[in-house]
Amino acid sequence: MSQAGAVKAKADATASVFARSRPRYGELVIRASLVIAALITVLTTVGIVFALASETISFLGEVPLHDFLFGTTWSPLFEPPSYGVIPLVTGTLLTTAIGMIVGIPLGVGSAIYLSEYATSRTRKFFKPILETLAGVPTVVFGYFALTVVTPWLRKIGIEVDAFNALSGGLVIGILIVPTIASISEDALSAVPQGLREASFGLGAGRFQTSLRVVVPAAFSGIIASIVLGASRAIGETMVVLLAAGQRPNLTLDVREPVETMATFIAATGKGDIPTGSLDYKTIFAVGALLFVMTFILNIISTWVVNRYREEYE
Amino acid sequence: MSPAHDDSTGTSTMDADANTPSPSHEPVHMQTPALNEHMTPKPEAAEKIFELTDVSVRYSGKLAVKDVTVGIGTKQITALIGASGCGKSTLLRCLNRMNDLIPGATVDGSVKYRGQDLYASNVDPVQVRKRIGMVFQKPNPFPKSIYDNIAFGPRVLGMNKDRNLDEIVENALTRASLWDEVKDRLDESAIGMSGGQQQRLCIARTIATNPQVILMDEPCSALDPISTSRIEDLMNELKEQFTIVVVTHNMQQAARVSDMTAYFTVEVAEDDKRYGRLVEFAETETIFTNPSDQRTEDYVTGKVG
Repeated sequence: MSQAGAVKAKADATASVFARSRPRYGELVIRASLVIAALITVLTTVGIVFALASETISFLGEVPLHDFLFGTTWSPLFEPPSYGVIPLVTGTLLTTAIGMIVGIPLGVGSAIYLSEYATSRTRKFFKPILETLAGVPTVVFGYFALTVVTPWLRKIGIEVDAFNALSGGLVIGILIVPTIASISEDALSAVPQGLREASFGLGAGRFQTSLRVVVPAAFSGIIASIVLGASRAIGETMVVLLAAGQRPNLTLDVREPVETMATFIAATGKGDIPTGSLDYKTIFAVGALLFVMTFILNIISTWVVNRYREEYE
Repeated sequence: MSPAHDDSTGTSTMDADANTPSPSHEPVHMQTPALNEHMTPKPEAAEKIFELTDVSVRYSGKLAVKDVTVGIGTKQITALIGASGCGKSTLLRCLNRMNDLIPGATVDGSVKYRGQDLYASNVDPVQVRKRIGMVFQKPNPFPKSIYDNIAFGPRVLGMNKDRNLDEIVENALTRASLWDEVKDRLDESAIGMSGGQQQRLCIARTIATNPQVILMDEPCSALDPISTSRIEDLMNELKEQFTIVVVTHNMQQAARVSDMTAYFTVEVAEDDKRYGRLVEFAETETIFTNPSDQRTEDYVTGKVG
């Protein structure tokens, strides 16, 4: 063998230590499928926004934006029709507000109990139960509101209508407890034990430690859980459809029936309105408004989290 | 001289007050005149603040440290040394009932603080920890501003009702020799400080609640030598007013700062379970120069461990 050949062979041998023996097809396939999975999620969202926007623009071509946003009568199927969305918005906000009043204290309270007070045995018992509650279909909650909560409200002396905002709102509150409790509990448990020890070491009691150290440190997670709960409450359909009725009612009286935006969409969508008609487009216009409301909620929560978060690392 | 202080509410007498305990402190903080009249009292002879008799600690039934009998002197530094797993941190955590936070931890024997059994059924551990503060191995400042870290204890204990909070904060930071470094950024997060500063902040935070005793669980093990030496200086200043019990892995540290030293070792039971035992408790000088137990001598001279 010539000297040049020997040198070349040696160089090849050195290169082969790090050289890729063959293309890694498996890795390429995995990578491609992950990209596709991510793209499908993004494209679906874009598609929803696009569908909402195009029908909404077409709707606003026939109904002025001002009449839609600020009108106080919602009667799209009557003659002459009226497209003021305010009653649907107040109906939604009313049931959501009741839901949050119930859901935040119960959810955050059970999270604090589970994370700060419960023994590990109690925690192992309660958490699965809480998560099972999250798995109960909302239609079951709806009938629970209609057939249990409403009669119960009457029994304790609250003169509610057969369909009423209070019953729907209360049950929405119970419905979002698992969401709030589960995410808040994760955030509280993630707070380093050292912070609790520091607080106890300074003579703080368990309640002071929870409220002044652990909750502030987990604040961003708790806010995230509340926003998620609120989004669920705003978009909740079956419970309010069954318990709160379908009357677009501009009222703050929780004993009366109300119609929410989601209820309107569901009830009208299952009716026999022709595609492309103005009634059909109202569904999209209300849907778009619902989307904008949840979107604003998310922006506000991001701001709140960044403003008040206490980073512990 | 008037210190720059963002949160200062008007003129105060902070400077006059900064390095000396204010008259409103509990009487026990005052210097005992009798003590000053003596030459230099032997550390051994100091009045005992803790009396431990046959203390054993178990975690879920598993023995961690067995039959410790020891007395800890007032206003001196007692070091607990020994190899890992010898139960020294466990024992330290008995002194302010910090072990209560660990599920399954049980304490046998008697732990007396000023003659009072800390584990009596009518004792509230929260009240115990108000008087016996703790500094931990890893600096654990709250994710709050420097000011709020110091103010936390006084606020929780309601101390700010009769004293100006700003004054308490400045006083504590000054005594932890941290004031000059942080006085212009009291509203910044404590998380941005260096490890050594964080640990001094944690000491200042404990001082602010005016405890009788400060327990330190390896306070310098996460720090560089310069920060360590600052903390040791601090400990020497603080023992004028506080009783300090320190757990340390660093024998030189024990030799440098402590008056009394307890040496612990790991024993292996017949069933191969390991637990800690106290081998020797004596004046630090004795432990390091003339120990009475061969195991102590092997440890302090570096033959084992």
